[in-house]
Amino acid sequence: MMEEILVTIPFGDMVHYLSEYTIVLFAFAAIFVILAVISLPEKPVDIAFGTDGYTLKETPANLMKFQRFMAIACGIATMGAVMTGDIFNFTLFAAFIGVLNIGIVAAVKNKHVLSAAFSYGLVVMMGTVPLFSGAAIIVATTGTLSIWELAVSGGVPVIAKLLLLIGVLGEGMAPFYIGKAEITRASGAPYILMIHVSSLLLFLRLVEILLTV
Amino acid sequence: MMEFIAEMDLVYKIGISVAFIAILISFAAMIREKDDIHKLIIVDLIELTGLVVVALIATDLAEALILPGLVVGIAEMMAVSELWLAKEGLQRLPTPQRADIEVLHTAPKIIGALLIAYGIFLTGFTGGLIAGLGLALFFLGKNTNEQFLASETASGYAWALWVMGFLIFFLFPSQWFFALMLAAVGIMIKVMAKIALVGTMRGDES
Repeated sequence: MMEEILVTIPFGDMVHYLSEYTIVLFAFAAIFVILAVISLPEKPVDIAFGTDGYTLKETPANLMKFQRFMAIACGIATMGAVMTGDIFNFTLFAAFIGVLNIGIVAAVKNKHVLSAAFSYGLVVMMGTVPLFSGAAIIVATTGTLSIWELAVSGGVPVIAKLLLLIGVLGEGMAPFYIGKAEITRASGAPYILMIHVSSLLLFLRLVEILLTV
Repeated sequence: MMEFIAEMDLVYKIGISVAFIAILISFAAMIREKDDIHKLIIVDLIELTGLVVVALIATDLAEALILPGLVVGIAEMMAVSELWLAKEGLQRLPTPQRADIEVLHTAPKIIGALLIAYGIFLTGFTGGLIAGLGLALFFLGKNTNEQFLASETASGYAWALWVMGFLIFFLFPSQWFFALMLAAVGIMIKVMAKIALVGTMRGDES
């Protein structure tokens, strides 16, 4: 019965792309998801200048929960982006990582962090245009989005590859903006790490895609 | 078939040139704009130009690709605009204002009941819309804070009905009529709950 159901409902475009490279990236993302699940937020230390005194900034529980959720979701989206064998799914995951990166810092009540995140949000939204355009041009010229098939047939126009690259540059730009959150010592340290991880893995996977197709 | 593709190709080329001109214009607008809220509006425009390129595929696949693209775009739009509100400290909601018209104290019960009955008779999306309007009118007239939990729960069950109908379509295609009815009733209740919320939650603290 179960087999019959699985045969009747094919998983459509949920094509995975397993290679030694993507498995390593997947495992890397998975490790950081687990770290985000089990770790507690750090307490930033403020030193009273000229004395031995110091204070610990507590992270409010609701902020911590929100950031943790966003970090875990971002890790899962990263895992999807490095594993998928469908270019459009890759672009969707990339855009999704962009939104979740905003989410990780959005709850911090600090005007500098918020305006940095706002600027990054604009870049993310602009980045979806070249991303989706690249995927659309690929499907319009070759007739498929599957990386497996594109690896055999080739024929992806250079302009589409360039557009994908520009799009991922936009989505993966987070560390440049989020640096502000770290410089101003905004709370939520272990979760902000996920921003760097997702950006790094996104670039690594994109390089693999561009070399394969 | 071949000449059809060749013809498509020319149309595609023209379309993609127009789309890229639109993209260039919208990005130029983005560079020139300095005000945050205007940037936000222009960035929404920019996203639409991306969807135009996707739409140029012009097959069923285009629709399947536009929908997730649109959803991601709207999610980003909502996240960034919430961020803007937080950044500018504008998250205070306006005080609720309710219509206090005498005829609304009595008439909505009858008209609302009629609309709900007619909506249930219609089923489906249209039925949900009409029944929802009836509910909205009823709540508007009662001039009170209702418990929205009930309609939200109903909405959840309706969604489950809809999914069940969907699964039955695939697993037991012979039972298509039952599945159709499940889906129709489900979507009716779902749309009704949504419309009722739209009608009553304006300016509410909840």
